[in-house]
Amino acid sequence: MKQDDPFSTKSAFGGLTLAGLMALAVGCGGGSDAPTPSSSGDGSASTPSGSSLTVGFAQVGAESSWRTAETESIKAEAEKRGVNLKFSDAQGKQENQLKAVNGFIAQGVDAIILAPVVETGWEQVLKEAKDAEIPVVLVDRGLKVSDDSLYATLIASDFVAEGRMAGEWLAEKSGGKASIIELQGTPGAAPAIDRKKGFEEAIKAHEGMKIIASQSGDFRRSGGKEVTEALLKVHGDKVTAIYAHNDDMALGAIQAIEEAGKKPGTDILVVSIDGVKGAFEAMVKGTLNCSVECSPLLGPLAFDAVEKAVAGETLPKKTIVDDQVYDQSKAAEAIDSRKY
Amino acid sequence: MRRYFPLMATFAVLIVLFGTASAMYDRFFTARVVANLFSDNAFLGITAIGMTFVILSGGIDLSVGAVLAFTMTFVASMVTEHSWHPVPAISLALALGVALGGGMGFLIQRYDLPPFLVTLGGMFFARGMAFLVSAESITIDHEFYTALQDIKIVVGPKAWLKAVALVFLSLLFGAVSLAHWTPFGRNIYALGGNESSARLMGLPVARTKIQVYALNGFCSALAGVVATIYMGSGNPAMGVGLELDAIACVVIGGTLLTGGVGYVAGTLGGVLIFGTIQSALIFDGRLNSWWLRIAIGVLLLIFILMQRQLSRMSAPTKN
Amino acid sequence: MNDPLAKLKRWFTGGGLLWPLLGLAALLAYDFAFVDGFFRLEVRDGHLYGTLIDILNQGSKTMLLALGMTLVIATGGVDLSVGSLMAIAGAIAAALVTQSEMSLALIVPIALCATAALGVFNGALVSVAGIQPIVATLILMVAGRGIAMLITGGQIVTFEHAGFVYIGNGHFMGLPFTLTIVALALGGTSLLMRKTACGLFVEAAGDNETASRFSGLPTRWVKLSVYAFSGLCAGLAGLIAASNIKAADSSRVGEMMELDAIFAVVVGGTALTGGRFNLLGSIVGALLIQTLTTTMITQGVPPAVAPVPKAIVIVAVCLLQSERFRNEVSGWFGKRRATA
Repeated sequence: MKQDDPFSTKSAFGGLTLAGLMALAVGCGGGSDAPTPSSSGDGSASTPSGSSLTVGFAQVGAESSWRTAETESIKAEAEKRGVNLKFSDAQGKQENQLKAVNGFIAQGVDAIILAPVVETGWEQVLKEAKDAEIPVVLVDRGLKVSDDSLYATLIASDFVAEGRMAGEWLAEKSGGKASIIELQGTPGAAPAIDRKKGFEEAIKAHEGMKIIASQSGDFRRSGGKEVTEALLKVHGDKVTAIYAHNDDMALGAIQAIEEAGKKPGTDILVVSIDGVKGAFEAMVKGTLNCSVECSPLLGPLAFDAVEKAVAGETLPKKTIVDDQVYDQSKAAEAIDSRKY
Repeated sequence: MRRYFPLMATFAVLIVLFGTASAMYDRFFTARVVANLFSDNAFLGITAIGMTFVILSGGIDLSVGAVLAFTMTFVASMVTEHSWHPVPAISLALALGVALGGGMGFLIQRYDLPPFLVTLGGMFFARGMAFLVSAESITIDHEFYTALQDIKIVVGPKAWLKAVALVFLSLLFGAVSLAHWTPFGRNIYALGGNESSARLMGLPVARTKIQVYALNGFCSALAGVVATIYMGSGNPAMGVGLELDAIACVVIGGTLLTGGVGYVAGTLGGVLIFGTIQSALIFDGRLNSWWLRIAIGVLLLIFILMQRQLSRMSAPTKN
Repeated sequence: MNDPLAKLKRWFTGGGLLWPLLGLAALLAYDFAFVDGFFRLEVRDGHLYGTLIDILNQGSKTMLLALGMTLVIATGGVDLSVGSLMAIAGAIAAALVTQSEMSLALIVPIALCATAALGVFNGALVSVAGIQPIVATLILMVAGRGIAMLITGGQIVTFEHAGFVYIGNGHFMGLPFTLTIVALALGGTSLLMRKTACGLFVEAAGDNETASRFSGLPTRWVKLSVYAFSGLCAGLAGLIAASNIKAADSSRVGEMMELDAIFAVVVGGTALTGGRFNLLGSIVGALLIQTLTTTMITQGVPPAVAPVPKAIVIVAVCLLQSERFRNEVSGWFGKRRATA
């Protein structure tokens, strides 16, 4: 005896397929993408000045509001300059970014903007881009390749410097004595590794500064809260400072400190990195002590580089975005001008 | 002939999908895009092939992504930090993959433990081991690798199959032969169909179970090796969620999770469908991060339903 | 049997509750011996304060997820979308709380109805369209995260609404309010399952669907209901998660929690193949995993290597639960019993 088949008519199936195809067509705008100036089929890029560029942007993902701000900045800038932007979100996986770049090369874009999720493994795909004469501009993070000419330029903050600045600020504020809980970012992520390194460099010189516990909060607000909660119970009154690799974790830690009956910002100093709006609000409130800026607004610089690269200019290998240290004294006046 | 309907359904869906994308996007219908499909998804494909066998036998393996990461990191570390030649490093890595797979299979078979949990444990173990080997990603720099990475078979204008795609296709061919033309393959199908019947028939159920997981361990490790060739580096954070992608490919390909029903070739279809959806979305390039996820979900749903409907239309013999 | 002691012993050992409890006890024993102050409890602000309380509070999300997951697994399925559903519930609630004047009494049911409805969608894919549960729920797992991010626009939406914050942070009778929520959910579900025919229906549908259907059981409705229930539980957990950090973190909340939930259920004595289920066992399993997580944080286990102890515990508890293993081990000590 056969089970009742809910899709028992062929017409139901036919309707479904049709609906599916229509959904695809409607959802994707119903037409092929805007014509690219490189009409030759071999993928090489050549742009007569004045016509619009097609640029592929291989973004890491959307794992934090910082990341979203970076994406928005690039999209807004593309729109401002009349660039046809092809956006790809890799959901944090390197293999997806490789597929995106390969896809962009196959489509014959004029340039590629890449925010590499890890530092290694790009040799092959960059070589193909070079063969196809598509310049690659790196944003936000660097990568390691044997041949520097494989990418046009790198526009990024220096994560190690950020960690160092945080460490130096803490050393000054605490007078060289602190028992620190470190909230790390996602294991294996470049910012986490570098911000840890920089911080440790900075406090090495000060004997009284010690990291008494270091755990991963995964760059998440909930991670920061859960880890701080647990560690405060173990180390109790010994803790005098918390160093978080990003603002989200720090904001979670602040909640944990309050629930433990202490005053964040006064009883326990809180230092973090990124400089998002929420951090500034916390500094104004007095719960966060210091946030080292890490600007995600790389759109303008990125497209400056893209236009120059497409025009054939050679660019400096690195453009380091200057980060500023903001603490409570500067927060109130700066907060209105914060764009992310 | 009727038996192959689910398989044909999968490939029909693939053709519809690829055709629609080609109509919508400039330059989608090129040899390069097709060749990229095979190279970009090679390690997913290899993982999915191993997973097919495990699922056919009625089990499941969640450790594949982590084993891939461990293998990558291990090989990279051995070659770059300890100056081993790639060949012994790769061989040892493959052996370790087989050992871990066999170990899990042993626990599952001997003590009747749920495969989901044992392989979940295996996943955590392998991931931890990968980070133990190295917390950061490591570049591989060796003539052997450079030679491997230069291997190309031209299949069209600006389109070539790289070494990784060749490994994938060879493994596919081997897997199909294994599944259909060897007693081991038949034992797997029987085991997945009904374990007690298989045992009563006198088939070596215990040994087959362990071997299936060992085979999958080999495939995961091989996928890791292929990944090192593809990327020229080892990354311990790689492959998170790969097991779910692999399972999705296997299921889209028509294999039943309850075991005993399915084709390895179907998995190829599943992998290509998965890859085509991703390629199409990249070519579109207009969706932002959240619409992208919604789109992937919707497209997967449409094509799974389509495949399901097509195979249901061919009188099903098994629930 | 009327002998209450024998009944208690049978309930204890028969349902497999013994082993997760033993595992939990072993873990707690380790904590007692090696972790300073793990069991320390104080009274602060009129409520209990200590690591154990944190475990109960943080574990409430996993416990709720495990509750819903138990019934789904009992029908032979699995629900991978619970993490994304958590995100959706949090996103809806945060959006409504910050952008409208609706009272909490309206917002909470709206969020829960949304996730329950999505659960029905899962159930329909499984029972009506006949798609395998892993893949059916995988679709919402991917798309659901997108929906949650769509609602919050990729930003972290913060709020200060006192009522909403109370859900995840407040205290009731000295214990976290989340525990009250879990207790009510557990109590309600147990009553529904054991005092009505519902439990029987679920077990029958999971054990042998064809036979159940022929016996007149509305298996399709049973399956739809359990997925809806799982959606409901995920919604509750999502509200707690958002409330806990006073923010909706759509891109990260609930990540990997489906695995924790499945682990809790299977360790608690419910087989993945379906059939008999053990609600209390799942709760214990959830506690086990949370205790393990907190132990690793307080013990300073380096975050990257943290998965390894998790693996050992998983395999150890599995082995303990396996009758064959126990027989083999007791065989080493001279006693052997025939196994099925």
